[in-house]
Amino acid sequence: MSITEEKMTKMTLAEQTTAFESGNEAAAMAAAQINYHVMGYFPITPSTEIAQILDQKKAQGLHDIQLIAADGEHGSAGICYGAALAGARVVNATSANGFMYMIEQLPVQSGTRFPMVLNLVTRAISGPLDIRGDHSDLYFALNTGWLILTASTPQAAYDMNIMALKWSEHPEVRLPVIVAYDGFFTSHQKRKLSYFKDAKSVQAFVGETPPVGFDDVADPSRPISVGAHMNGDDLLNNHYQLHLAQERAAEVYQQIAAEYKAISGRDYPVLELYQMEDAEVALFLLNSAAETAKAIVDKLRAQGMKAGLIRPNVIRPFPAEEIRTALRGVKALLVGERADSYGGKGGNMTHEIRSALKLDPANETIVLSRVFGLGGKDFYPDEAEAFFNLAIEAMNQGEAAVPFDYFGQVPGDPVHELRPILTPQHGDAFNSGLIQVTPDEATGKLKVKLPPLRNLTAKPKRLAPGHGACPGCSAISSLELFYKGIEGDVVTLFQTGCSYVVTAGYPYTSHKQTFIHNLFQNGAATVAGAVEAFWERKRRGEIEVSDNVTFIMVTGDGGMDIGMGPAIGSALRNHKMIILEYDNEGYMNTGSQLSYSTPLGHQTSTSGVGKAQKGKAFHHKDTPQIMAATNIPYVFTGAEAFPQDLITKAAKARWYAQNEGLVYGKVLSTCPLNWRSEDQLGTKILQTAVESCFFPLYEIEHGVTNITYNPEAKNKRISPQEWLKLMGKTKHMLQDQELLDAFEEEVNRRWERLKLKHESPLL
Amino acid sequence: MSILTKTNDLGFFEIRLESIGGLGANLAGKMLAESGVLGLGLNGANFSSYGSEKKGSPVKSFVRFCEPDVEIHDHSPIEEPHVIGVFHEALHKTVNVLSGLKPDGIVLVNSTRDFEEIRRDLKFPYGTLAVVDAMGIAIDEHTKVNTSMLGALFRICDFLDPDSMREVIKHTFQKKYPHLVEPNLRTFDRGYHEVRFQTIPAPEGVQGMRFERPQPLLGYATQAPGGIIRAQGNSLLKDLSGSRQGFVPELDADSCIHCANCDTVCPDLCFVWESGEDKKGRAQMYLSGIDYQYCKGCLKCVEICPTGALSMRREEPGYADSHRVAHVFQ
Repeated sequence: MSITEEKMTKMTLAEQTTAFESGNEAAAMAAAQINYHVMGYFPITPSTEIAQILDQKKAQGLHDIQLIAADGEHGSAGICYGAALAGARVVNATSANGFMYMIEQLPVQSGTRFPMVLNLVTRAISGPLDIRGDHSDLYFALNTGWLILTASTPQAAYDMNIMALKWSEHPEVRLPVIVAYDGFFTSHQKRKLSYFKDAKSVQAFVGETPPVGFDDVADPSRPISVGAHMNGDDLLNNHYQLHLAQERAAEVYQQIAAEYKAISGRDYPVLELYQMEDAEVALFLLNSAAETAKAIVDKLRAQGMKAGLIRPNVIRPFPAEEIRTALRGVKALLVGERADSYGGKGGNMTHEIRSALKLDPANETIVLSRVFGLGGKDFYPDEAEAFFNLAIEAMNQGEAAVPFDYFGQVPGDPVHELRPILTPQHGDAFNSGLIQVTPDEATGKLKVKLPPLRNLTAKPKRLAPGHGACPGCSAISSLELFYKGIEGDVVTLFQTGCSYVVTAGYPYTSHKQTFIHNLFQNGAATVAGAVEAFWERKRRGEIEVSDNVTFIMVTGDGGMDIGMGPAIGSALRNHKMIILEYDNEGYMNTGSQLSYSTPLGHQTSTSGVGKAQKGKAFHHKDTPQIMAATNIPYVFTGAEAFPQDLITKAAKARWYAQNEGLVYGKVLSTCPLNWRSEDQLGTKILQTAVESCFFPLYEIEHGVTNITYNPEAKNKRISPQEWLKLMGKTKHMLQDQELLDAFEEEVNRRWERLKLKHESPLL
Repeated sequence: MSILTKTNDLGFFEIRLESIGGLGANLAGKMLAESGVLGLGLNGANFSSYGSEKKGSPVKSFVRFCEPDVEIHDHSPIEEPHVIGVFHEALHKTVNVLSGLKPDGIVLVNSTRDFEEIRRDLKFPYGTLAVVDAMGIAIDEHTKVNTSMLGALFRICDFLDPDSMREVIKHTFQKKYPHLVEPNLRTFDRGYHEVRFQTIPAPEGVQGMRFERPQPLLGYATQAPGGIIRAQGNSLLKDLSGSRQGFVPELDADSCIHCANCDTVCPDLCFVWESGEDKKGRAQMYLSGIDYQYCKGCLKCVEICPTGALSMRREEPGYADSHRVAHVFQ
């Protein structure tokens, strides 16, 4: 330690600047100042802002981080791992199910010992889905081998992001680090905080470049093999090394925290002990809830009660020794946890604290455990007081009457129990008899007869009004229009996305027929399972229902990115179902991040426009052509601006899904909020997208392409600029001839190819 | 000496903004807070109510101020504010906007109406009511409601410095949209000057507005296991009229040709049809009206209508209720 002390005396406080920003802004600021090499990310609330802010700063030329928009969190973790293997400094951010989806990769990274920093902006994991904060995701991190810092304020989110990198890269540690802070409570709350005025101060602290002398895959002159498989004899020794690194990391942390304090003036001891010196009753809380409880400690102290609070800054390695010391004189402790370890009679922190105390034979602390504040349920000071009262009661009685329980649950009043308000409609109710689909034996194609739109208003809608979509959202009107072409019953699954969120917010649903939600990497697989079970149970005579049921998986374009694998798998297996994609050209549900379907140059919150960047860098994904390559019976595109065309395709889709196999359709859908367009122009914008040939209307029936609306033939073709000028997200493109040319060239190339396919059944 | 004229037990002066997504209350809260923290050196916090809600849904923004040496530990929403700003008048129908208001608190409402009507609707008989036609100013100046509301809020929070806000407005627009600087400054100043106040002293012994911490409709004994809902279509119980921002479609039945284009593009399923007979006695569908309970005022229907039977109108209070043709659900 003498070396450290000597070194520290040389350090002086680096100049700070005051800001008023949120935890996500703070984490992004730290990343920009460090100037990481790579961030491979995938949007998920509430962590997404970090990538967005870094994209904004990138567009302004404020850092050089390579921001790579992954196809899902599993992919993002892979990108990060690969970059770490190549010796890069790597940062990532995620939350909840994003974390769950990447978790497979995390022990790979710790087990092969490559550093990086991951911001885990904590949020409840599904299901049921809840976008707000708790620690159920964080608790899954405990067994990954990663080091874990817990940041209770935006200031801590900033500081720990800087300390984390140095800790991770330390020669005696070499483990990836998670910085966990509370979703929304900390990620989105703006506080007064201090930043290093000059990024050079941060870079001097972490080192301008990564430490040398470690294996990486970037230098062909020093070839290595990474990831050879092992047997138990070797694996046990590998993991023992990892265990030793965690042990060593505890000491290294002390050193790094001391160095950081010397340049910042801000101190992050392993445990924050608030009024613990002589405390007799105490709370143990992670992160923001602990901050909230401090006011109650002060209040009880003023009343003469010896109350205190323990809040850890580090939970991996777990500070067992420090906890034993802190609790030596405490008579009763309540551990409040924002996640349960179901069936374990206490959350993970409870067990780790009790286990730490067991090693101190003199310890007599009564440990109570309460699960609270799940799914972002707010935690108020008076609830912290209720926690203290439980601990005081246990202290006075010398035992915990109820050692473990939930806190804040309510039984509910039977008066409010949900009761059906509509008589369920099915079968004939949705058989209007107005739509005829007949196979034409000569052509092998389907012929559809439709009545005027007016007649179809007699058919009941599939969705009830009262959903929460933004004004002017085309996703809902397009879906309802598609449903008009479907006769008989439907079972729908909506993958996570706007249409799901706005039509099924508990305890309300806008779905009149059966509806399922599943997370958006797996909807196609889920419907595949449901449809096969439906037919098998019907075959066994267990259910007596009509054949006239269509299974439909509804997804946004984002869901066709992260869910592409299961969608292709389902298509190759050719289940009798429809995949309907409403394409609004981005991840609109999480705040307009780019999807692969975002066209070139279009501005989103992760494809910003500035001096160093011109919107999205690559062309939109041609999903219909990808799906067509699986040789499914029917593929189509559609738009609300051409209603008869879309209803006709829906009728064909139903026939194919009931008789032959999988159908894929893409419907372009206006998002006025994020396209920054006038609400009332939604339909017109879709019309211009079609007439500019950006979004051709066509179908591929048994592999044969048919353009169903050819604007050239009707002399209605317009330039793509006529479409682009209607949206705020593309205004900048009109002033950029080079970008415009590149965009038009791709539109033309795809259109010309499509025409050739239309002309030749073999293509 | 403290510049915060009043504070609560923890030393905080607290503001709660009640709005719908899309009106910019979030940004207004941020600018208020920044002006106090970065401009005046106060300590402060600013956050919003978050969820999956989209544009048009109720949102709240919170601002806490305290002296520089007071630490802010509390992360929880503001329950008993000193100032409440109501950005959208119709909100009171679905949200208890005054919940927890301090006895000496001030309520600012964006409205064209007079004090008495607003007091009656809000059930706010005593205390200080501030009213500004923030929407009217914004429409006049082609700016945003949040700027005129900010002007009025700066007048109410008299410890803040309106000149610093004017500088922020200049700075925000100057570089990219210089033509917007003047209209936005005018919008802010008009909000500041045009806000009107009325104080009715509370009779002795009257308490502030009690705060009601919202409880879930269902509990562990009444939720179906796994979060399953068997009440299909129950979103139709909701009233979305509060999502509109001043405009509604108006139907002129005489010029309607019942083409159903409106029905095709309406995201909110507002068009009500009934079956009848045409001149030759054949069954036919007829558009009977608009169910304004669900209309969010996007006006896609007005744009698509081939005959002009649907047109846009500024929504005055009471119009939608008296012209609503309700869906009949079975």
